Amino acid sequence: MSDDRKMLLDPGFELTLRPMRYPSFYDRYRDAIKNTWTVEEVDLHSDVADLAKLSEGERHMIGRLVAFFATGDSIVANNVVLSLYKHINSPEARLYLSRQLFEEAVHVQFYLTLLDTYLPDPDDRNAAFAAVENIPSIHQKAQFCFKYMNAVDHIDSLQTKEDRRAFLLNLICFAACVEGLFFYGAFAYVYWFRSRGLLHGLATGTNWVFRDESMHMDFAMSVVDTVREEEPDLFDDEMAKQVTEMLEEAVEAELQFAQDLCGDGLPGMNTASMRQYLEAVADQRLARLGLPIRYGSTNPFGFMELQNVQELTNFFERRVSAYQVAVEGSVSFDDDF
Amino acid sequence: MTVAASVTLPAQGSADAFTDPGAALLRLLTDRSTDLPQVDPGHVAAAALRGRHAGSDFAELRGLAVEAAASMIAEDPQYSKLAARLLALEIRDEAVSQGAVSFSASIAVGHTEGLIGDTTAAFVAKHADAFDALIDQQGDDRFEYFGLRTVQSRYLLRHPITRKVVETPQHFLLRVAAGLAVGDSAQSVAEVAELYTLMSRLEYLTSSPTLFNSGTKHPQMSSCYLLDSPLDNLDSIYNRYAQIARLSKHAGGIGLSYSRIRSRGSLIRGTNGKSNGIVPFLRTLDSSVAAVNQGGRRKGAACVYLETWHADIEEFLELRDNTGEEARRTHNLNLAHWIPDEFMRRVNANQDWSLFSPADVPELVDLWGADFDEAYLKAEQAGKAVRTIPAQTLYARMMRTLAQTGNGWMTFKDASNRAANQTALPGRTVHSSNLCTEILEVTDDSETAVCNLGSVNLGAHVAAGASAADLMSAMDWDRLDATVRTAVTFLDRVIDINFYPTTEAGNSNSRWRPVGLGVMGLQDVFFQLRIDFDSAEAKTLSTLIAERIMLTAYERSADLAEEFGRHEAYGETRAARGELHIDHFGSATPQWTGRWDALRARIATTGLRNSLLLAIAPTATIASIAGVYECIEPQVSNLFKRETLSGEFLQVNPYLVRELKELGVWDQQTRDALRDANGSVQELNWLPQEVRSLYRTAWELPQRALIDLAAARMPYIDQSQSLNLFMAAPTIGKLSSMYAYAWKVGLKTTYYLRSRPATRIAQAASGTARAAVPVPAPTMSQEEQDAIACSLENPESCEACQ
Repeated sequence: MSDDRKMLLDPGFELTLRPMRYPSFYDRYRDAIKNTWTVEEVDLHSDVADLAKLSEGERHMIGRLVAFFATGDSIVANNVVLSLYKHINSPEARLYLSRQLFEEAVHVQFYLTLLDTYLPDPDDRNAAFAAVENIPSIHQKAQFCFKYMNAVDHIDSLQTKEDRRAFLLNLICFAACVEGLFFYGAFAYVYWFRSRGLLHGLATGTNWVFRDESMHMDFAMSVVDTVREEEPDLFDDEMAKQVTEMLEEAVEAELQFAQDLCGDGLPGMNTASMRQYLEAVADQRLARLGLPIRYGSTNPFGFMELQNVQELTNFFERRVSAYQVAVEGSVSFDDDF
Repeated sequence: MTVAASVTLPAQGSADAFTDPGAALLRLLTDRSTDLPQVDPGHVAAAALRGRHAGSDFAELRGLAVEAAASMIAEDPQYSKLAARLLALEIRDEAVSQGAVSFSASIAVGHTEGLIGDTTAAFVAKHADAFDALIDQQGDDRFEYFGLRTVQSRYLLRHPITRKVVETPQHFLLRVAAGLAVGDSAQSVAEVAELYTLMSRLEYLTSSPTLFNSGTKHPQMSSCYLLDSPLDNLDSIYNRYAQIARLSKHAGGIGLSYSRIRSRGSLIRGTNGKSNGIVPFLRTLDSSVAAVNQGGRRKGAACVYLETWHADIEEFLELRDNTGEEARRTHNLNLAHWIPDEFMRRVNANQDWSLFSPADVPELVDLWGADFDEAYLKAEQAGKAVRTIPAQTLYARMMRTLAQTGNGWMTFKDASNRAANQTALPGRTVHSSNLCTEILEVTDDSETAVCNLGSVNLGAHVAAGASAADLMSAMDWDRLDATVRTAVTFLDRVIDINFYPTTEAGNSNSRWRPVGLGVMGLQDVFFQLRIDFDSAEAKTLSTLIAERIMLTAYERSADLAEEFGRHEAYGETRAARGELHIDHFGSATPQWTGRWDALRARIATTGLRNSLLLAIAPTATIASIAGVYECIEPQVSNLFKRETLSGEFLQVNPYLVRELKELGVWDQQTRDALRDANGSVQELNWLPQEVRSLYRTAWELPQRALIDLAAARMPYIDQSQSLNLFMAAPTIGKLSSMYAYAWKVGLKTTYYLRSRPATRIAQAASGTARAAVPVPAPTMSQEEQDAIACSLENPESCEACQ
């Protein structure tokens, strides 16, 4: 590759869309638009009845979970603005990031609505929103995020290899650890409830959040792939070591959270199983990054396996979450069908 | 739960159940899987014990074992059997804890608690021993896990305070049958036994409302109600809300026309103001439907039908959009188009289409066929149109809405009226279909059409030793006849025993006595006979089945007419004029012509007990109870997850598994590949071509084949069929071609357009990380592996897995 060719992490605000250098980012942007959903579509009415049925331990778990979600997506949105949008220098990638930012906003709105519905008492609500300060297990996860945000905070443009490595760590932190591990941990609790027929509203919204987050992570990973192709020397042993340690740290932080949520354990959900699950997820992230796996664990949660399989919903019961938004073409009578 | 634990233990386990529940669990699992060679009881026990927490007792462990076994169904379908058996024990213990130690005891408890009706309670008490002896002890073992879980969570009656079940699955089925008895003699018991036996063998099931409510204090057993449009005034509009709420409360699905209500901008003489059109009223209906849940068991559901010439049609198309002003959205209503042929003709000819306010052309709603065409042209010539748009522009918008929301079902007014038995007299009009687009009955302001449904499990009627080479002997026709006769007898009974929530519904049902006998498990028949869904054999056999069922159903209805009299409005039907449904289909070539001739002669003297007899309903829930594929549908996937109100379940195509085991390829690689391909076998090129062809999914079959099968069956379905169509990545071009074809071949109605999300959820954590454990694939070339890897990394860019 010649030296004068522009690279994805070269500083600047590139404006040229044609010829398009990274058409796959543009495709992702368009795909994301097809999956538009709104909070109004989620029906939370049966959740309120379910909440009354939960045990003390389960209610505690839900309270913590919602508190985490309420702040988690905001932190991710901040990082999109403060780091990713600034440094990923491709207009088509920035289109995708704009779309991601919108999706994060919808997620925040969803969890805000959820919190308002789940916690009718204003004091409880305020406490949940202050989770980052008040609840140690959430505070610790936030600190983990802030560490990697602060590391790029002073960098205005990615001039040196060191700058670029710091940025990559930030990118990987949010993709593999925050969206790819913290959120995946939280999703597991939600689906555990759903596997027992509880909290369908939460599960429906989470399903759509999950779909979005998967795409965000996938986008970030493809940015990593692109950078690796353009600047292979950034990915040295030190980087591999840092990423592995970062995931280890994330697993530990998420485990503290699990300890807080599960206490002595609930039927079908406890800290030991959660550890195994998180390790399996972390291994998958490492593998996706082309790194050796760290744990060799397998996913113990049957209900998360189910998450991968297509759904067929009986419309008497819930709204089908499978419809596309953008449709193209014009009337014809001889297309194949 | 702890109370029940002492009852549940296998005899040999009782000693250590409290001291070592883990050992007791393992013994139970081993005991219940002796005939399931693929099941590893230790594997299930270990998974259950992992989920245990401090203080877990035996009952809780067994509950965890149910879930553990259920999560292994993707490994081998035999785990479904084990999970079902464990669950059956759990249910039995729970019922016993509420006093339901026998069927008669279950009914007595239900009666004391105000659940069971007096007549059924007295009938069962009178013949307690005979009834208790009817219970098939092996019955529960016929359920797969998903079916039994559905029965448990939704169908079994529960104690009003403790919320524990007061009946076992077999008690439940016998209760449903006993609730449909006529009289209380020993002969009545024998008749009940006939229906119970069919249901216990899962050869036939009545519709959900009958399963929910038969034998109870409020036996509302009808599935669907069709209401004419409210009249164009406020009193009528608000009166309909109340009717709908009452019908919905008792578990009926609603089909409702709105075509008589004036459109936006029409003058309101009373106030000299302008109308806001139908949308604000539908918005109120939306809230009303959501507010009334069906006895707490499922949410109310309604479908609104609008004729394509209504000037609010464009706003109607936006009702389910998830963008725009919320005040103009109805997320709970389903939407359907009631399309006159004239519209489709103008779409084809690329002509203009005029939109009217019903206030200006009130006559159009009640006309169909040539009369409609004439009135429509006259209204156009008189300049009454609110506005005129290109027909194709509107058609394209209809297609777009289908693709975006799955809603806006295409149903055809003229085809639905032309062959309808109830439209013999002028002014009798079918104004809409129902919630699931399989019922077509006339309505007017004083008559709400009602239909009671049931479905034959076709998969359970394949002849022993049947083969695709001899389709005339593929089915056990005599047994199918017997099933249909019993089914029609009891569907007809529902009409008399039913509780009608509104007088309009009672009026209509006693006059017309319509019933809707349908089918489920057509796909199972094809799998058992190894027939491709889009083959000529499939079309022939599916048509033969439809013919046979219609023939027998009409014969039985003639029997019933002889015994109990023809239905009140018989004189107003086409049948009374010697005109049967098949006579409207010149292309029909019946096989059993001798029996048809005899039937015609018979009807000429006896008449019919029922104005309509056949309708193919979606069977979403009852097919899952019976463990077969839904109604006439192809399988959606070889592996899929079902989400319902009772949680999530995984299903694997058992026919495929059996076949792959025989081929010796049901291994981890195949299982992983199947899951990664979302249940498609098309990319599994280590499987023989004919296997991949047979096990194509609805997404992979040409939709033309589904439409052709439906069209060939049409002469033998006097109402209609819930026909879903599937398109992974719909475009306006494909959809417009498809629905124009469906209209051209004469389908009366179509149902959902199913499509897939544009992006999918990433694999959560599939076993160990993929890159770490390369899958040995000796039968695959590197290139083929790359193709699969590509589709895994980027599922949307790969056409093959769509």
